[in-house]
Amino acid sequence: MSESGLPGYCTLDHGGCVVCSDAGIPVHVVSIEGDDALCEDRVGNRAQIAVELVAPVRVGEVLLTHGGVAIGKVTSRGEEDSR
Amino acid sequence: MKYVDEFRNAEIARAVAAEISSVTDPDRHYKLMEVCGGHTHTIYRHGIKDLLPDQIELVHGPGCPVCVLPMGRVDEGIEIAERPEVIFTCFGDMMRVPGSKGNLLEVKAVGADIRMVYSPLDALRIARENPDREVVFYAIGFETTAPSTALTLQRAKKEGLGNFSVFCNHVTIVPPVRALLDSPDLRLDGFIGPGHVSTVIGCRPYEFMPKDYGKPVVVAGFEPLDILQSVLMLMRQIGEGRCEVENQYGRVVLWEGNLQALKSMAEVFELRPYFEWRGLGFIAQSALKLSPAYADFDAELRYSTPGVRVADPKACQCGEVLKGVLKPHECRVFGTACTPDHPLGALMVSSEGACAAYYNFGRKSFEKVEIGSKK
Repeated sequence: MSESGLPGYCTLDHGGCVVCSDAGIPVHVVSIEGDDALCEDRVGNRAQIAVELVAPVRVGEVLLTHGGVAIGKVTSRGEEDSR
Repeated sequence: MKYVDEFRNAEIARAVAAEISSVTDPDRHYKLMEVCGGHTHTIYRHGIKDLLPDQIELVHGPGCPVCVLPMGRVDEGIEIAERPEVIFTCFGDMMRVPGSKGNLLEVKAVGADIRMVYSPLDALRIARENPDREVVFYAIGFETTAPSTALTLQRAKKEGLGNFSVFCNHVTIVPPVRALLDSPDLRLDGFIGPGHVSTVIGCRPYEFMPKDYGKPVVVAGFEPLDILQSVLMLMRQIGEGRCEVENQYGRVVLWEGNLQALKSMAEVFELRPYFEWRGLGFIAQSALKLSPAYADFDAELRYSTPGVRVADPKACQCGEVLKGVLKPHECRVFGTACTPDHPLGALMVSSEGACAAYYNFGRKSFEKVEIGSKK
């Protein structure tokens, strides 16, 4: 459960759609181990995430993951458009 | 978490909702489609519909990959799973999606070795740990999950894992959207574009929608404020007579997409000439299969799946709901014969499915009252 009291749509313990895993989960990078990185979601769940598709990554960066694989980086890029 | 929590600010949400009202023509009806099932989920979980003026109708699109999967593909997965040498792996509730003779959970109950995984990489680990068994991964999803399957297959090939294969059911988003735009059943004023698919494919593939069909598109994120701002951006385009592709989800989506992910997918997959979609029929070049370079990992070739076609149950109206012609509660079996505990159609199984969203977040009674009161 997320801190909002709702099942965490954006957390690793309930990654959105449990049918197809087709929901992006934002996580931040805790440590990097080769092609994988230990990542943590907004409520503290940790998981090993493959990061080849968004390499290079740095500790502290926020990644968007799908099914255990990072497919994008979340940045302040375009923030003016998005707020 | 940064980039998440600020997009759930109730005060800003109310301000954006007020702005949407101010640009809404009270004498006009607006029909906007959210293509992605994840958006449907956010809209109902956060009650976004209740913040919008009555003139704006949100229509749910075909963007749940489980919901659009024809029953024949479920049956073929079950046939592979029943083989004694196979460890069959799939995502969570995929196990409950009904085929014509039951679901994977029932097959598991009578002895098949079916395991739930969170990632295709988990399936690869199971293959490493069980060299004397054949491990098959049931791959499903749009361009969001296709990169994870591609990356998994690249790792499998690099490791030379001979006991791993993939039953590929990946689909692509643009062809069904084009099919919807060609459909005479539906009149839409604009599209909320799928944010996570666009993380991979970028925004360029949607340019045909304003250019060829005169429909504006706003690629959107998945937090409540993302959806509200996307609706506002669409309403502004409509009000100002503009028609273009805009990117609301700039903090994640690049205009050109994720080139590394696209490169992986191009190596591992190729387009199928055609693929059957539940409710939409056969659509050309709308799905992916493994490329010849990865033929050794193709479960369809390894187990010679016949490509059977199975009609949906007659009572089930998933097809009409997928096309946006019917709202979930207008289906004749919604909430009676078809519930999340006993789903007849995939839209009630998947948490991204429109029917499950309606059922779980209480839209059934509300919608019926609302429709009754309008008449």
